[in-house]
Amino acid sequence: MSDKPIFEQLNSAIIAGDKIGLEKLVGDALKEGITPSDIIEEGMSPSMKEVGERFARYEIYLPEMMMAAEAWEGAMQILEPKLLESGGERKKAGRVVIGLLKMSGFEVFDLGVDVAASAFVTKAEEVGADIIAASALMSTTIPQQKSIIEHLEARGARSKYCVLVGGGSTSQEWADSIGADGYGRTAGDAATLALKAVAQK
Amino acid sequence: MISFWTVVERALSGPICTERDFELSIFVPNLRKTVEKYGIKYDPQNPVPSDDDLADRVWQAGIEFLIETGVYCVDTERRILFSREEIEGALASGPRGRVFGEGRDARVMPRRFPEDTTLPWCSVGPTSSPLSSELHYLNLVKAHAENPLGDGITIPCLTTVDGHPIVGGSPLGIEGAIRAVLLTREGMRRAGRPGMPIVNGVTTAARAQEHIAASHFGIRQTDALEIGTIHEMKVDFDTMNKVAYSLAAGNLIFAENGVILGGLAGGPAGVAVVTAAYNPVDLLLLRGAIQHPFPTHFDLGVTSARDTLWPRSVANQAITRNSSLPVVNVGYSAAGPMTKMLFYEHCAWVIASVVSGGSVEVGASARGTALDYTSPVEPLLASEVAHAVVGMSRREANGIVRALLEKYESQLREPPIGQKYQECCDPVTGKPKPEFIELYREVRREMSDQFGIRLTSASPYI
Repeated sequence: MSDKPIFEQLNSAIIAGDKIGLEKLVGDALKEGITPSDIIEEGMSPSMKEVGERFARYEIYLPEMMMAAEAWEGAMQILEPKLLESGGERKKAGRVVIGLLKMSGFEVFDLGVDVAASAFVTKAEEVGADIIAASALMSTTIPQQKSIIEHLEARGARSKYCVLVGGGSTSQEWADSIGADGYGRTAGDAATLALKAVAQK
Repeated sequence: MISFWTVVERALSGPICTERDFELSIFVPNLRKTVEKYGIKYDPQNPVPSDDDLADRVWQAGIEFLIETGVYCVDTERRILFSREEIEGALASGPRGRVFGEGRDARVMPRRFPEDTTLPWCSVGPTSSPLSSELHYLNLVKAHAENPLGDGITIPCLTTVDGHPIVGGSPLGIEGAIRAVLLTREGMRRAGRPGMPIVNGVTTAARAQEHIAASHFGIRQTDALEIGTIHEMKVDFDTMNKVAYSLAAGNLIFAENGVILGGLAGGPAGVAVVTAAYNPVDLLLLRGAIQHPFPTHFDLGVTSARDTLWPRSVANQAITRNSSLPVVNVGYSAAGPMTKMLFYEHCAWVIASVVSGGSVEVGASARGTALDYTSPVEPLLASEVAHAVVGMSRREANGIVRALLEKYESQLREPPIGQKYQECCDPVTGKPKPEFIELYREVRREMSDQFGIRLTSASPYI
């Protein structure tokens, strides 16, 4: 094992997107008797925040974000059961149907492209989502965002979900006009909105 | 060159992998490896580099990256792989000297080189910008077609049909795409240029069936259908269906590659390499008559940022020095019409493109997404600048682009939105307001006095 303090090693593994290394370090930390909560708060969350800040400064890009998120998810699969055993709560709990939000600790169900409006609602109901987020690039595809809200209303489920919209041809005015709960111009906006929405639940 | 059907067969039988593995286990490590191996480094001080060796290294890196990575078919979850021999065969037999348009409006799409004295192709038009009314659509197409330097029309997007919002994939999508072609043809006829080619048919179409339907209502074999891959190095059957149709119908294809800076390709160095790698893909898979690259900023949504101008310049130089497939760059600027910033942004990316061997498609303002925020005036100046800088050295262009960046780059995040078409131009006659024409003249003088760019006298506004 490295001479560096374990929390420093954990944070370095997140920043490097080293999933296998991080999982090993998490195992080592647990053997040392460090609580799952401390591993997350001291050994992982600071680096996740740093990754987000570096992304915002254009120092790193999507691949680094995705790899850091994968490392985080791998570690959380080890830590979450232990956290729940010890009476803790899921960190940043939330389920989002679609979007680039893994970096903020959300569980993401990416439905892909060219998705029917009803499929968002069906998936959200299936997984007990908190948020439905839909992106549309073209002026001819944004009407589907309105359709998602109409499908939710038709099923009497509108109040259960926070609906966020974004993408090339969308705007705050568009989001307001269709009754969406939030509009994000960028992926970063989406993460901020999603965190706010979950905090308000 | 191997046939399109061989490529389709590979989409159906190539190595299987998940999309996640393609992205993070194949694409990203292969790209990092080649960027490192060929020593490609972003230089923010020189948005228009003059380094032929760098350009050729980017090209070699792109070819090596493509051979090792391939293109991912999302419908079959398989990789379409190409050998070096197949890529070289495609490059050797690629299209050259294609004619676009008909009659007296026919033009040859030139192959250009860095610092070439050959005039660039200039596509003019609202470049996919969404419009609220058919009257605006007609008047804008007419105004752009009246630009004497315009070689082809790049058409906008209709957003409604008789008041109904167009929904892609629905019957309204079919009608919208058809109507867009008919309106464009009528706009060009009113300008007295009925043979002018449409180069981005059909922007209102979201799906292959809409492309195909609209093609039967005015798209000609001397027009181009615009077909693009999915970010990055991915393709689906809908895209390949458009290619299959275009090949059978004899249409020319505008092969579009808008590599996302900050996306899977990472930073400027990776974006340059991936853009170069798309050149053989555009030949082999999209069967393009033109490569249409526009590296776009993931956050700002523009092509006029410093870190998108560098990969545009470098990739253009890499491609045009090594491939005969002509390059036509498009630009998405942040500011809206009737702002000085929009003129500056257009001029910056046009100069970077032209001196690096490209031709241009001028037109998109307000990121190409704000309803009705487009005008024919800034693209007119951009096309004049495109003609004026032929033969300029990359070193001189670099200095001008740096000076232009100084004027606008701090405003890219919160750009001035300017005025809608119907506010800055008379919506009935299409004529720009007097103060808009005065702004155009002021920037035109600035280009001449400050940067020594000698503009032609072809403008109707001087």
